[in-house]
Amino acid sequence: MNKFKTLALVLFSSTALLVTSCSKDNDNAPEPVKPVTLTVNTVADLDGTGRDVYYSLSKNAEVTGTDITSNKWDIKFTATSIFVNGGTSGTGTTQAQVVNNTFADLATAPTDGYKTDATGANAITGWYTYTAETAPQHAILPVPGKIIVIKTTDGKYAKLEMKSYYKGNPDTTTPTFADLATRPTSRFYTFRFAYQADGSTTLK
Amino acid sequence: MKYIFFCLLILVTLNAKAQHADTLSTDTSKTKKLKEVVVTATRTNKNLMQVPMPVTTISNKEIKNRGLVRLNEILNEQTGLSVLPDAHGQGIQIQGFSPDYTMIMLDGLPLIGRTTGILDLSRITTNNIEKIEIVKGPVSSLYGSEAMAGVINIISATPPIGTTGNVSVRYGTNKNADVSLNGAYATKRLSISGFANRYSSSGYTLVPESGSATVSPFYGYTLNGSLGYKFNDRTQIKFQVRDYTSTADNNFLVDNDRITGDGTEKTLSASAGLTHRFTDKFTGDVRLYHAGYSTKSLLINNTDNSVYDETFFDQNFNRAELQGDYKSINGLRFTGGVGGQDESVRATRYNDKKTFQSGYAYGQADWIPLKKLDVILGGRFDAHSVYRSQFSPKLAASYQFSDKFVLLASTGKGYKAPDFRQLYLNFNNAIVGYSVFGYEEAATELKKLQDQGQIQTILIDPATLQRLNAESSTAYNFGFRYKPFKGVMWTVNAFRNNIRDLIDSQPIAIKTNGQSVFSYFNIHDVYTQGAETDISYNFLTHWTVAGGMQYLEAYDQSVLDKIKAGQVFGTDQATRETIKVKKSQYGGLLNRSKYMANARIAYQDDKTGIITSIRAIYRGRYGFSDVDGNGIVNRDDEYVKGYVLFNASVSKLFLNNQLRLQVTGENIGNYKNPGAISNLAGRLIYAGVTYNFNKQ
Repeated sequence: MNKFKTLALVLFSSTALLVTSCSKDNDNAPEPVKPVTLTVNTVADLDGTGRDVYYSLSKNAEVTGTDITSNKWDIKFTATSIFVNGGTSGTGTTQAQVVNNTFADLATAPTDGYKTDATGANAITGWYTYTAETAPQHAILPVPGKIIVIKTTDGKYAKLEMKSYYKGNPDTTTPTFADLATRPTSRFYTFRFAYQADGSTTLK
Repeated sequence: MKYIFFCLLILVTLNAKAQHADTLSTDTSKTKKLKEVVVTATRTNKNLMQVPMPVTTISNKEIKNRGLVRLNEILNEQTGLSVLPDAHGQGIQIQGFSPDYTMIMLDGLPLIGRTTGILDLSRITTNNIEKIEIVKGPVSSLYGSEAMAGVINIISATPPIGTTGNVSVRYGTNKNADVSLNGAYATKRLSISGFANRYSSSGYTLVPESGSATVSPFYGYTLNGSLGYKFNDRTQIKFQVRDYTSTADNNFLVDNDRITGDGTEKTLSASAGLTHRFTDKFTGDVRLYHAGYSTKSLLINNTDNSVYDETFFDQNFNRAELQGDYKSINGLRFTGGVGGQDESVRATRYNDKKTFQSGYAYGQADWIPLKKLDVILGGRFDAHSVYRSQFSPKLAASYQFSDKFVLLASTGKGYKAPDFRQLYLNFNNAIVGYSVFGYEEAATELKKLQDQGQIQTILIDPATLQRLNAESSTAYNFGFRYKPFKGVMWTVNAFRNNIRDLIDSQPIAIKTNGQSVFSYFNIHDVYTQGAETDISYNFLTHWTVAGGMQYLEAYDQSVLDKIKAGQVFGTDQATRETIKVKKSQYGGLLNRSKYMANARIAYQDDKTGIITSIRAIYRGRYGFSDVDGNGIVNRDDEYVKGYVLFNASVSKLFLNNQLRLQVTGENIGNYKNPGAISNLAGRLIYAGVTYNFNKQ
């Protein structure tokens, strides 16, 4: 009987999916054209070998020099840790949270649930797994579906998805990656993000 | 929906039923054998056709005819069983349960020695056994912990009257050698028997470039002695002692350093049993049992002669048990018993000697209210010094529509106690820096780390931990046995196991080095369900065709719930984009094949003394790893491909069946999958000789 239930569920949910996706298209069609304030960028191979990397989402650029003590950066990469400019990590008031969704499906930023960094309790956690002894051994792999939503110091929202911790965003299922001798260098960040400049929570 | 399973299964005809293979006996007499009696499912002798639980038997003759010498070899050819390789040996999966959940018994007494949950089946010789009985579904109502997926009971041979003896040798690929010497003397009252078995191999290497053997060279000895004496028709006594010692010669590479050293494994068991028939209706048994299991290994780094690793594990198990069996009129039979156990373990990663005490009582009523209906109601209560008490009830019934068709149904509870690791482990990984503590150690060890300033954040306060509970299951089995016409036996069983409180590790604190401290919790609820069927057909005197299959689903309920809530994500294999995982993509628990099947054709001619069979064993694809970091199987590249193994054997008997020459081939197709299946060494060819000192 349980099989019936599951079957019904699967049928129902797939129909529901079809219906919802159709209706979305219908909604989108007649919408009036607004000025584009959402920018979507992919950052490839941001080099963090042996150093911290500070990044500005509004400028889509690395922040260097004395600016790293200012509010000009939003997030900082240190090995596998991602810090926000706030709390114990910076002078700003940047906050973040990690939500379960796909980059494409996350249409609006949550209105609450944000945290800033504190000692031993960063706002951004759980974006990767360490494989330890399971193949590919000793690798840092992004956990799929972990979308980092950031509320910057000046109150702008952004969503960010980590894609890779290795140079060239390699396919981590290959023997080349599995072999530690041929694995590309780590601490090269590839990620994509969408930044909403108009201060709204719209991320799509 | 079960009906669809049934229809599917009906369509697939070929099937193996081991007990039926008894017709492949070397006996020249054509007398029809008596109805087969089994003991494991009810702890009483019972007609196999009537027993209301799924039971399979494998006869000694069948094992010999197939040329198989270790328990893993013969079990791997059975429907619904798959032998899983592990760093600590080869275990058995029944109805989708991991090897930890099947009790392995020798003459009704549990074998011990599961360092990480697996009891290595290759430890167990198939020499000197009468038959193997396999009961599927929980039998905790009689046997307590571990008998959750089922029970495999190895029943020793009883020597015939007179002096008997035989020697048997099998040798082949990888210098794999198995030598047995059996001797026995029996009168009407006294029986003495003993055997010695040596099993050795040069091991094999599936990945030569690694510089390390997949299986290291080893040799092992089994010594067994039995003594039985019948004082009179009513009273008899039996003693059995068995010793097994195995030594492996380890030799492997770690970061260009050569590591070598011996690892030894020993088991010693001794049992004494007294049976007295007080009246025709009432029989009593007393049994005493001791079992010891120990391992020891010392590995040396040859580069600088330093100790690479030194471990030991010592386990002792003692039991005293009293059983009574009362047959009343009205077709009612009561069986009940009480027992006490004392267990201890000492090991490298445990703080000091740990001891357990437990007591139990079980009872069973076997009632035949109508001639054709058999109802069994039973239960067992286990009280334990460390984990919570358990009650395991069981209800089963069979209905014999005719001599040819029996319907059977059963439901019951099974459980498995937390193992030593889950209770007592105290492990700090020196290289990576994480720690794992058993439930009983978590609070004190965490406090120690805290005092040393090694703890950054406590995630779960050990003071709030719930006492670790046994893992338990509720099972339903439903099926039939059917002999539609002479020479055909067909069985079907559908099953569902709802498993609660599976134990897994989970972080309880974060250390200042960023690594976690883990302890054990009752976390997962999973279920397994499916159906299996077996069919065999004897025809034209000499021929048997048989086949079987199992369909299995095994899922983690919490993952299903999360998928339903749209909270499980994965990475698409082709585009590498994040996707929402759908139920249809979820592959369920690791290592479970949705489809398994086997087929066999056998020929036996007593006149010419030729016995031969070819067997095919199919294991469908199964989930093996998580590639996209979501912790579940959902992509094609997370599976191990399905495969078929072909085994065959040819025997010829000479000198009035006193001499048997045999050639056996295992995995004749030479199938290998070095990355995923460590127990498939490739094609194995063996030659065997058995000589009986007596006329057969």
